Amino acid sequence: MSLFQLEDIKKEFKHGSTKEQILKGINLELKRGELTALVGASGSGKSTLLTIAAGLQDLSSGSITFGGQNMSAMNAEGIREIRAKYFGFVFQHAHLVPFLTVREQLELMLDTAETKWSKKSRAARIEDALKTVDMWNHKDSYPESLSGGEKQRVAIARAIIHEPEILFADEPTASLDSKRSIEVMELIEKLARELNITVLMVTHDNDMLEYAERIVEMKDGKIIES
Amino acid sequence: MKMAWKEMKKYKLRYTILGSIIFLISLLTLSISGLANGLSQDNAALIKNMPDGTFYMEESAEENHSFSALADEQIEELKDIDPDVTLFSIQMGEFQDNEDKKHSLAYVSAEDAEMFPETAPGEIVVDQSFQEEGFEIGDTVSTSLMDKDLTITGFAEQEKYSHSPVGFINSEDFFEMYKTDTFQLAFTETAGEPVDELSHFNNGDFLNTIPSYSAEQMSLNMIIIFLYVISGMLFAIFFYMINVQKLGTFGILKAIGVKTFTLFKMMWAQMFIITIISLLSAAGISQLFNMFAPSGMPFHLTAGMVLLSSGAFMIIGFIGATLSGIQIKQVEPMQAINQGGA
Repeated sequence: MSLFQLEDIKKEFKHGSTKEQILKGINLELKRGELTALVGASGSGKSTLLTIAAGLQDLSSGSITFGGQNMSAMNAEGIREIRAKYFGFVFQHAHLVPFLTVREQLELMLDTAETKWSKKSRAARIEDALKTVDMWNHKDSYPESLSGGEKQRVAIARAIIHEPEILFADEPTASLDSKRSIEVMELIEKLARELNITVLMVTHDNDMLEYAERIVEMKDGKIIES
Repeated sequence: MKMAWKEMKKYKLRYTILGSIIFLISLLTLSISGLANGLSQDNAALIKNMPDGTFYMEESAEENHSFSALADEQIEELKDIDPDVTLFSIQMGEFQDNEDKKHSLAYVSAEDAEMFPETAPGEIVVDQSFQEEGFEIGDTVSTSLMDKDLTITGFAEQEKYSHSPVGFINSEDFFEMYKTDTFQLAFTETAGEPVDELSHFNNGDFLNTIPSYSAEQMSLNMIIIFLYVISGMLFAIFFYMINVQKLGTFGILKAIGVKTFTLFKMMWAQMFIITIISLLSAAGISQLFNMFAPSGMPFHLTAGMVLLSSGAFMIIGFIGATLSGIQIKQVEPMQAINQGGA
């Protein structure tokens, strides 16, 4: 069953008087619980597609439907609410809040998602999430004292703590060594399977494709293989 | 609020520096406000202690009451407006103590005035500052302006005029001393009705007829206003610099769904925490100074003034911080994601 639909997505950038078309009519459907990898050469438009799908950038034309709602017709506040409640994000860099401890990063996400869970339940979920990513022992550490891989694991825990419907991952292993990359990908795959989360992931790394159930290849702003 | 406090705890030094600057500026503002009010009291407590009403003086005196002399028919007209009208005069003068030491003061004489101490001929009630100098009830003082001596029969609390202590005397003695037979001024608690050839003033306007009063107050108030403006600019500059450093964090927070308003609330909470701590410290120190300031120093800071000043600081700080927060509104999640970072 389709959870997320992109229909005829186009994106243009203006450079002075010239226009550059980055996305040239993309159609893509994501099924619940499926891990989809977006691949392609640099400049193929895969990261732009991911950020547009995640509501982080405006699209020039086309429509995005999530859970039956037309996101492209929503105002900024409506899209923000969907991002906060139903989407999770993992970027190339962890982008943790520097003045919050590991545990507080997750508390912030729960506050942002306006979850209705009790205090006890929230604490238990945070503990579970941090244990899952093997960061419980670092719960009171600040990001500055963590390694790149540890930060990325905290970012993953933050991305799934509110049980999102879709996880958007933009090159989540690009800043990690191969050992840490495998750890992070195994973690994303495990979480997607256990929590039935749909994952849309952009990657350059062919080694990571073995974790994907579906591979979508892009070239020059178009999907050439799906 | 929680996030605001956590950030302040993590980066104690940068927020302590801002807090210290705001503390120093608010202390300076409160000190100058105390000085301005002290000087105002020193210059015009006699008038400021009077109830709200209308002052009358001769039009031809051109707002200098020393040159005013109310005519009988004008006094009658004033009594028609308000039968309880107070007639009084103020004139700078001096007296000598038993050791022939001269003391300057403002002689005030009034007719049937409930707001001033009553004196019989040959009696004088002086400001309490003379008591602090060692004068006692029953002491006699002499003046070159008349032959007979005056006996101190009481002390009045905080009665100053034109930076001099006030001495209340009977009108008979006043007329003899200043070779006059009428009063300079009239005061009524009713609203100002025009009277032929008389100027009328409300309390605030009358204060400005006191020589040097408005110039003195205007200079000090100007300094106070500048200090408020400086503190507002400081907030704006400081939060601008902090926000520039945090744009990446703000962008990511927006990306994961944090409301822009929540980020503003965080900044406002930090502004209020800093301002409240700084103001409490500054108010405490200025009140201590108020209590222990040398008696000759014209420093007078009331709780009302501290509250008013604190309110002004809060509003200015809020405006300054909010102006700098425009960056928060403008930052796009994509900027932060593309920048990389922690």
